[in-house]
Amino acid sequence: MALPLEERTIVVTGSGRGIGSEVAKLAGKLGANVIVNDPGVNVDGSGQDEGPAATIAKEITDAGGTAVANFDSVATEEGGENMIRQAIDTYGRLDGVIHVAGILRDRMIFNMSEQEWDDVVAVHLTGYFNVAKPASVLMRQQRYGRLVGFSSGSGLRGNTGQANYGAAKSGIAGMNRCLARDLGRYGVTANTIAPGAATRMTQTIPDAARELRAQGGIEAAARSESGVTSLRAASYVAPMVVYLMTDQAWDVNGHTFNVSGGQVGLSHEIQPLRQISKPGRWTFEELRDLVPSQLMGGLRNPAPPPSDLDLPGRPVDAS
Amino acid sequence: MGVLDGRVAVVTGSGRGIGRGIALLYAAEGAKVIVNDPGVAVDGSGHDEGPAAQVVREIKEAGGEATANFDSVAEFSGGENLIRQAVDTYGRIDILVNPAGILRDRMIFNMAHQEWDDVIAVHLKGHFNTIKPVSVLMRQQRFGRIINFSSTSGLIGNTGQVNYGAAKAGIAGLTRVVSKDLGRYGVTVNAISPGAATRMTATVPDAARELRSQAGVQGAAGNQQPVASPFTRREPDDVAPMALFLASDDAWDINGQIFLTSGGSVGLMQHPTAERTVFKDGHWDMSELDDAVHTVLLKDKLNPAPARDDFELIGRDIPAKPLA
Repeated sequence: MALPLEERTIVVTGSGRGIGSEVAKLAGKLGANVIVNDPGVNVDGSGQDEGPAATIAKEITDAGGTAVANFDSVATEEGGENMIRQAIDTYGRLDGVIHVAGILRDRMIFNMSEQEWDDVVAVHLTGYFNVAKPASVLMRQQRYGRLVGFSSGSGLRGNTGQANYGAAKSGIAGMNRCLARDLGRYGVTANTIAPGAATRMTQTIPDAARELRAQGGIEAAARSESGVTSLRAASYVAPMVVYLMTDQAWDVNGHTFNVSGGQVGLSHEIQPLRQISKPGRWTFEELRDLVPSQLMGGLRNPAPPPSDLDLPGRPVDAS
Repeated sequence: MGVLDGRVAVVTGSGRGIGRGIALLYAAEGAKVIVNDPGVAVDGSGHDEGPAAQVVREIKEAGGEATANFDSVAEFSGGENLIRQAVDTYGRIDILVNPAGILRDRMIFNMAHQEWDDVIAVHLKGHFNTIKPVSVLMRQQRFGRIINFSSTSGLIGNTGQVNYGAAKAGIAGLTRVVSKDLGRYGVTVNAISPGAATRMTATVPDAARELRSQAGVQGAAGNQQPVASPFTRREPDDVAPMALFLASDDAWDINGQIFLTSGGSVGLMQHPTAERTVFKDGHWDMSELDDAVHTVLLKDKLNPAPARDDFELIGRDIPAKPLA
């Protein structure tokens, strides 16, 4: 019996470790030819090691699947083109691109260097462009293709100390909404996964820092994941990603799925929650009265200033 | 007595369009304004000190205080210069507004790397380049207002704008994060997703919009009312009052939000959360997911750009490979 991804060729960036490796292995198991891309860098993007990608490619072939390793960096235009070309040169076609690769350089905005911003945006956001651009040319011509980009609650909901990562991850979700509209009519789909999993990347945030922020009243990105630790394994994210590669998902386009443990959620389209309108230009006084009462009711400041901070505008406590 | 008496504001890209309206209103309400604009064309090319200088002249003629700045926010040093000029000229910085932007629209399969880089540099990196230096000062003084500019092109999606949409959605994420980095220091960070007829939107030909909509492709404007009425006015100056309110002392506790602002409408945008969720106590297999996706998660949801009817598509007209 034919496997669901037989004769399909899929590039998975950052698949030497973590979620990417689980996606690559499952795609290989279900019959796909897999390009296992991973330059084997550290979480901060430094270093280089061909071991992780080579190991996963070998695991796939040892299990009877088809895979080759690729060590290019998705952060460069040439790197992205190379891995797409390798898919064509090796297997004769390209059906899917899954961009999981990512690095972290967490820092509060007031301490973040330009390099820390640039490096993170280059791998995540421009990295997705670097593979999606060459892939889209081929997929449009063959009237078939699957693109998946990885977003994060850090960008969709916000998380302290991750301005670079949050911007890039929210940008990927926006990019997929645009890619879906550019490519949908050519039979190509583009979707977003916002994963929750315990991997090498999430280990970089010390629990102590998380607790400190929580005590300060600062909301963390919604922890949609299961409370059961075992359900935070990266392998739980893989099935939904791989499902988006199947023929059955031909009409699943432009959506964001939150995947963590055994949960798969469909994210809301971003729409106005509440609205005020008048046939003309607002005045300051009208907005001062209506915005807090009509728009902001029940919503709290995600990082409220401490009560002993003297703030212009804040009502002085009578006590 | 003005709403912003004694405040110092930097408004990027305020030589024209939405930024100009904000700079003029801020100055009329008593703020000292740095009017930043390198005076480039919509695609980012060229340089012209005229637009920023003209806005400064208008402000001064009306009795306000303003200084022109011609730095590009696409450069890290440009952002630093801009903030430094506010402090050097007026002694402090209270408000940063980020409307500066360019467009290089192109379908993804035709987009040059340069078109991607340039748009990301001005919008997304441009926001970082101004926010980073200003956040250091605002944190120290325990007060500040940062007002960013997002767009429905990124929040909802639009054809031919992968670069712009990615940058604008990225700015929404940046806003959410930085609001949490700075909120406890008395600083608020919000974003406006504006609707206005400006030089930038005039670059999208109506014919192109119509063509896409005939093909069933949802544009970002898909959920805007098409008929002209007092409720669908799109004047660039209409965005300024909300930018004024967010900069005022009254808005001290409004933080981390995105406001859809167009004509006489102000909407509070939703942050994306799960609308529907399925759960299994274990790993899903492909056929279970196929069932869950089609019968629960995507029930009654539309493909924003459905494949053309005359294409033979695997899964639709051509039998799909069976799911394991």
